[in-house]
This record gives sequence, C-alpha cells and structure tokens, in this order.
Amino acid sequence: MKLIKDNPLSPELPNFFQELAGGSKMDVGIPDVSRREFFKLSGIAGGGLVLGLAIGSPKASAQSGSAELSTLSPYVQIQPNGRINIFSKNPECGQGIKTGLPLIIAEELDCAWEDVDVVQADIDASKYGPQFAGGSLSTPMNWMGHRQAGATARAMILAAASQQLNIPVSELSTSETKVVHTTSDREWGYGEFAELAATMEVPAPDSLTLKTQDQFTLLGRRFTGVDNHDIVTGKPLFGADTRKEGMLFATYTKSPQIGGRALSFNEDHIKSMPGIVDAFIIDEFGNPKMFNPGGGDMFSGVAVVAESTWAAIKAKRELEIQWDLSSAETSSWDDLVERAYALAEQDGEPLMVSQGFGPNATQVSADKGDAEGVLQNAETVVSAFYEYPYVSHAQLEPECCSARYENGQIEIWAPAQIPQSAETGAAVLLGIEAENSVLHQTRIGGGFGRKLASDYVFEVAAIARRMEGVPIMLQWTREDDMSGDYFRPGGFHSYSAGLDASGNLTAWKDHFITSTGNDQAPMTSADLNPSVFPMDVTDNVKLTQTMFHNAIPTGPMRAPSSNAFAFTFQSFMHELAVASGKSHVDFLMDTLGEPRLTNPENPQSMHTGRAANVIAEAARLSGYEQGSDEPGRAKGLSFYFCHSGYVAQVADVTVSANKEVKVNKVWAVADFGFIHNLSGAENQMEGGIIDGLSQLFTGKITFENGVIQQQNFHQYPLLRLPQAPELEVAFLEPEEFPPTGAGEPSMPPLLAAVTNAIYNATGERIRKMPLVDLGYKLV
Amino acid sequence: MATLNINGQTMDIGEIDPSTPLLWVLRDELGLVGTKYGCGIAQCGACTVHLDGAPVRSCQIPVGNLTDQAITTIEGLAAEDGSLNPVQEAWIEIDVPQCGYCQAGQIMSATALLSTNSNPSDAQIDAAMSGNICRCATYTRIRQAIKNAAAKMNGTAFYDAAPATEKAGETA
Repeated sequence: MKLIKDNPLSPELPNFFQELAGGSKMDVGIPDVSRREFFKLSGIAGGGLVLGLAIGSPKASAQSGSAELSTLSPYVQIQPNGRINIFSKNPECGQGIKTGLPLIIAEELDCAWEDVDVVQADIDASKYGPQFAGGSLSTPMNWMGHRQAGATARAMILAAASQQLNIPVSELSTSETKVVHTTSDREWGYGEFAELAATMEVPAPDSLTLKTQDQFTLLGRRFTGVDNHDIVTGKPLFGADTRKEGMLFATYTKSPQIGGRALSFNEDHIKSMPGIVDAFIIDEFGNPKMFNPGGGDMFSGVAVVAESTWAAIKAKRELEIQWDLSSAETSSWDDLVERAYALAEQDGEPLMVSQGFGPNATQVSADKGDAEGVLQNAETVVSAFYEYPYVSHAQLEPECCSARYENGQIEIWAPAQIPQSAETGAAVLLGIEAENSVLHQTRIGGGFGRKLASDYVFEVAAIARRMEGVPIMLQWTREDDMSGDYFRPGGFHSYSAGLDASGNLTAWKDHFITSTGNDQAPMTSADLNPSVFPMDVTDNVKLTQTMFHNAIPTGPMRAPSSNAFAFTFQSFMHELAVASGKSHVDFLMDTLGEPRLTNPENPQSMHTGRAANVIAEAARLSGYEQGSDEPGRAKGLSFYFCHSGYVAQVADVTVSANKEVKVNKVWAVADFGFIHNLSGAENQMEGGIIDGLSQLFTGKITFENGVIQQQNFHQYPLLRLPQAPELEVAFLEPEEFPPTGAGEPSMPPLLAAVTNAIYNATGERIRKMPLVDLGYKLV
Repeated sequence: MATLNINGQTMDIGEIDPSTPLLWVLRDELGLVGTKYGCGIAQCGACTVHLDGAPVRSCQIPVGNLTDQAITTIEGLAAEDGSLNPVQEAWIEIDVPQCGYCQAGQIMSATALLSTNSNPSDAQIDAAMSGNICRCATYTRIRQAIKNAAAKMNGTAFYDAAPATEKAGETA
C-alpha cells in the first residue's frame, strides 16, 4: 500500500471557494508563517483558554482551569492526566468535521481514540489558516496538514521520551497513546513525556514518516460524533444557546420588499410595551443584496431589544414601519418564468467564463468545436426546456448570534460557516481594527450554505454597538429566515443535443437563463460552469446566456449550482438515452468513453473511469437493468460529479394513477477516494439523498414585486419521516486517492434519479421542479 | 410568584407575562436551552417537551395555562447519576445526529412513544415522529434508533414522566 497523497483543489469549485481556500493549490493546513512559529504559537499554554476534560469516550468541552497543559502545537495538547486534547479548527454544521478532522491527527499521533478529547478551536488564521465549512473542502484541504500535525507531535513525544529515558529514538515506537520500548518490553503513556515534549524542536516536514494506509488503526472505521452525548442530553452547544450575564434579547425586522430602508416606526408604542428596553432603526450597510460574507453588509431595519426573546417577538409583531422602497427589489418569479419560456427557441449572448480567479481572472468563450454545424447534420436532435425554482436553505436553527460591544471592541459568539469573514466583516461594519473583533465559533444548527453569509452577525454587531456594554442575543424568527435568505437561485436551460447514427452524443447546446444584480455577471451560484458532465466530454458545445435583472439575494446552497444542474443535465441525458435507443447505462458509458481525466492537466478534473465505475456499481447493486412487473413501478438512474466526488444513484419508485409517488428505495454508490470515517460519510450520503427528495417534491420560493411569498414550514414543507425511503449506500475506495468531501456531492444525483424513474414508470417526462407544481405528491 | 414543575423540581419563574410560550420560559428564564426554537407555529417539533408524559410543542403552550403539570425536558431524561435512557443511548450508538439541532425534539417524541408502546410498528413510528422535522434528514437512522431502543427496553417501561400519584388518574 502506498501513501495517500495530497489533494489539489477541484477545478469546478466556484471562485468564491477557490479564494477562500487561498489559491489554486490545495492548502495543506499549514499557514504561511515559519514552521517554528506555527507549531509554537499558542495563546493556550500556561493560562488563557483552557480545556476541560471528559472521561470515557471522546467529547469536547471548554472550561477554565489548569495551567498544566503541555502544548505541542495549535492542534495538540497533553493533559496532566495523559489524555490528549486535539483541536478541531473548522465550524461544525452537521457535516461531521468536529469528529473527522481530529481523527486524522489522532491517527498519525498514534492515539487510542478513547484517550482523545476534541476541542473546538477559536478563530486564528495565524495558527489554523482558513477556517470555514464550505465547498466540501474541510477534509481534502486538511488531509495532509493534519496528518503532518499528528506526526509532528508524535515525533516530539518520541524525542522527549528518548531524552528522558536515555534510550535511542530508533529503539522506541508508539501505539495507542503509549511510547513502547520493545527490547525491554516496557511502555509509558504519552503524558509522562508531556512537559519535555512541549519544549522539543519541531521536526522538519520531510523528516516525518507518515503511515501507509495499511498501518491505519483508526481511519477507515466507523466513529460516532464527538458531541453526540451533549446533543442527546440537551447541553448548550449551538449559537442559539449562548447565554451571558445581563444578556438582553433582540429581534430585527427588515423590509418585506427586499431592499427597503426603514424611515420611521411606531417607536412610542413599541417602547411602551412590557419588557422592551430599546427600539431603533439601523441603516443599510454596504450592498446586502449581493452575497459578500466578509464585508459587513446588512439590510436596514428596526431592532427591538428586550428582557426576553418573547417580549422582543411580541413587539416585532406590533411594529408599524414606514419604508423607503426606492431601491427595493421589484421582480416577480412568475414574470421571470414567462419571459424565460418566451426565449426558449432563441440563443442568448455567448457565455464567457472566468479563467483563473481573483484579480488575475480573464474572460474566455466557453464554446468548443462546431455545435451548430454538427446539430444541422445530426441523425437525431433532441430539444427540451428545463425550469427550477428559488429554494430556501431552511436550516433548522434560524439565524442567531450573540455579541457584546464595549470601548471599540466587540466579542461575538456565532454559528457561522466562515467565522473568519464574520469576524473581519463585523470590524468593517463597526469601523474598528480587525484585531478588536473577536469571534468564538459555536456549533451550527444546520448550515447548508445559509450561514456562509454573515448578515445576522453584522446585525447583532450593529445592535450591540447601540447597547454598549450589554451582551445581546439576536434571534431571527423562522419568518425572518425564510423571507430573508440568500436563496438558491432559480433558472432555466434550453437544451438541444445531437446524436449520430450510432446514437452517440455529438453536440450539446444550452441557452442558460439566469439572474443578475449588476447587469455584468450572474448572481452568486447563478452561473453556468462549462465543465459539467457531459459538456466536459463532448467535442461540440455551444453555450449562451440571458441574464434578467433581478437582485433577489442568492448564495451557495449545498452543492451550489449542481443542486439544480444535476436535475436538468441528467434528466436531459436520459431523454437522449431514450432517443438513442440504448439503455441509460450504455448511453452514459458511451458518452464517458475511455477511462481518462477529462482535463489531463488537472488531476482533479473528472476521471471518466471513476465515473463509469460508480454508475456500473449502482446499476449492479440495484438491479437497475431488471424491470418491475408491478404497474407504475420502475427504477431511474442518475450520475453527477462535483466537489471532486463521483456519485451514482438509482431510485425505485411506484407512481399511482393520481400521481402519488412512493420512493421505495434509493441506492447510492460514491467514489470520494479514501473514506476515513465511514459513519460520517454514510450520514452525509443518507442526508443528501433525502434533502434532494425534499427539494424535488416541494422546495419552491416565489416572490412578487420583491416580496418573498413563503414565511414558514406550512408554506415551505420539508420531507418528514414517513416519506423517507429505504437507503443503501456503498463507497468505492480506489487505492491512493485522498479523501474528498461528502456533504455536497451526495445530493445532486437524487433529483434526476427520481424523475427518470417516474418517466420509466409512467412515460411522463419531468422538466421542472418542484414536482408538487405538476400534481405529484410524495407519500 | 409562579412556579413550574420541571424535571422533578419546582422552579420559580417570577412575575412573567402569562402569554409567554413555555419554550421561551425554559430557554430565557430557566436556562434550559436544550429545548429548541425552530418555527414558532408547531410545524417542526424542535421544541417538543413532555407534559404529564405526553409530547407537546412548547412553543404553543402559554405559561399562564400551566398549573402543576409535570414538565419534562431533554435535560431531564437521563437519570440523576447521569445514566442515559435507552433512546438517548441508541441515538449515540447509531450516530443519529448531524447538526443535532432538532434531536432534542426527536428524542422527546421517541421517548414518549416508547413510554406507551415499547414495541411500535413502522406505522406507529411514522405517526409518532411525523411532527418532527430533521432538515439534515437523519430519518432512516431515527427509525433504526427507535427500534434499537425498543429492543433495549425488552418490553418493560423504563421511563415515568410524572410521579405515580399523578399517573394513577390518567387513562391514556
């Protein structure tokens, strides 16, 4: 077995994440400071933040206490009792990273997992580099850096043991949090060398020996979440659970017509209500219609500060606010739909795409070959128009955040997916130096991309400044959340594709219709990436685009753009398969062609062989090619590649005469490289499938004259337990491929797997989401 | 001075607006933040607690309507020595939580189900759990965890939400 290698950035990542990740090369987790500084930097040793210890299984808690911790690096401490603290740098939002990242360190540190306490790291780019939860990047970005961090600490412990025991390092080894001297059959806990280890020289990276895969004792097995015990006993973990002495509770009310500015409100009445401490208008800052996590951008509104959340909510309900609507949004979804369908037979403007990122980005044409010419001579041309709506993240913890401002300094407790941007953005908003903004990350009660934006953090910062010295908890209502999202944008594709006499795909044409806020570029996550399969393997591609002016705020949602494209692309591919006369599996395999990287210069571009493998295995596992004798019952297949992950899914559905759809079972086969925590990867896959099913059937946000029409779960239903299908998940783990993220690629294929199954069962082709609009009901 | 009977203790809640939902009394006045706010309209189940053993949405119960009913929250499920109930144990073993925000409500609904039916059918699990949304969609694991917890219970009730004297008068 060989060493699992480092992981360059995936090419299909949105620029946003490329920039967050710090460049085109995958960051390995070690920031750009001297190595000595990196491993010795510590605000922790000898006081400061100190960490409490749990007995039994690994879990995290933070308390004040001992100054006797031995700090080997920002990631590893040894407690006086010999237990090991491992710091988890990134926010936990349900993706399992608080368990997954420390496992990687523990492996190379050669710890027994039972001896580890996981500690949520504070925000510190100088120690931890980029800290965020997005792009399914936490695992691949930190895979090698975390292994080095573990191996470094292990080497320092061995060096200390050698010195303390006067035994050559070459005679010592490690196993399960112990230093072992085989010759004399003796062993010592790491704790016995802790103090000396913390003073040892940090070894050079090239002097470290990392484990080969067959030497792993932890990675590759199933591990349960380190916070599970605290979750099932109701301990305060989440952003909403922050409580501080003297805390007051706030609501913040914005214009229903997005972008309106508060002019005045019934201030006297609100302030006369019981429990109300203050109420005031806050002005708009920046350009909050546009997704910009680190800029301090926030909408204007009215803050109510009260002695309890309930008092603040009651007052919010009685607010009468006069709005300046001169710069508010006026778009309506129904109008955009009508205009889009009118363009179905036309081309748009040539699609230009960014090459590179940041200031070095250049605009180039996305076209290849001669799609028009090939289409004219094609044996078969298939055309179809696809539609998908705006969707809300609907994470179950509505936006909330706590902050205390005093003397030009702010301290924030935030459930934030990009805490570093939230911290600096608050400083921008408040006009203070960045170092005077300090953010503590809490567990996040669901992210799905919503909490990549930090508007709720900036709102509480602005409120806390007005209430100087008082800790403020800002709680959004569900109505605030659903009508104030950075939504997954809706859009439209008008496809034409050509097949030759052998039924092979020869040309691909797409007129993509989307929205823009600045009339220059699509809104965030509303852009077409020309590397999506099958455009990446088709010789003749013509892409055009029409942008409607519509600045309803949008942002990344789990598998940004893929969460819609997978539906349209993979449904249309099934249309082509049917037209070709081939089976769906054969058509996909023929389109993929010979096993190869689709971009030979980029090892993270789609590999057609890995794609073919997951499709073949999903078909085999599900018995896809065997039909069903039951009326109205059939299977459907879909494949998608995104975030470096390959996923094929098969859905088995039964459709009744009155369009009730029962999803009997979904099979999923993924290639995410090496799976380092099987329970975590399975959980992400299971969640992604059911998330997709929920969006497919009922997910739809609409707006009229800039006002969002859905306010709560009665108008935006989510899938419930009785509708959850049986699931079977399998992972292909080709040797030597490092792990990639599972949170996002798990979801997209589900959409077309189900709609293709409905076609196979009924003959009705589905070209728009959600299915409830076509009369279907998930049962 | 109003009091509530929560997790076997009498808790003083002072002079409080009687329209305040139990949810916000728990979270803001008593620091019992394990019970979560998700929607405020009894659609999501994140705020589920037990009232005399029955699952209720605490966002819909004005505190002024409460007298001496026994209220149990997620913080009150484990025994005094910290040992977990079979539902909590199963939740950890199956690794149910993803983000975890809804799980207090899920566990309260599941515990209430198993306290009256220690061997529920799939349909009974569906019915008992359909009021609780999990946005991370951990439903298949929730189903399995309930079955595992039921198996642990071996058909014997393990959980009494209210003192026996109060239970005696109940019919359901």
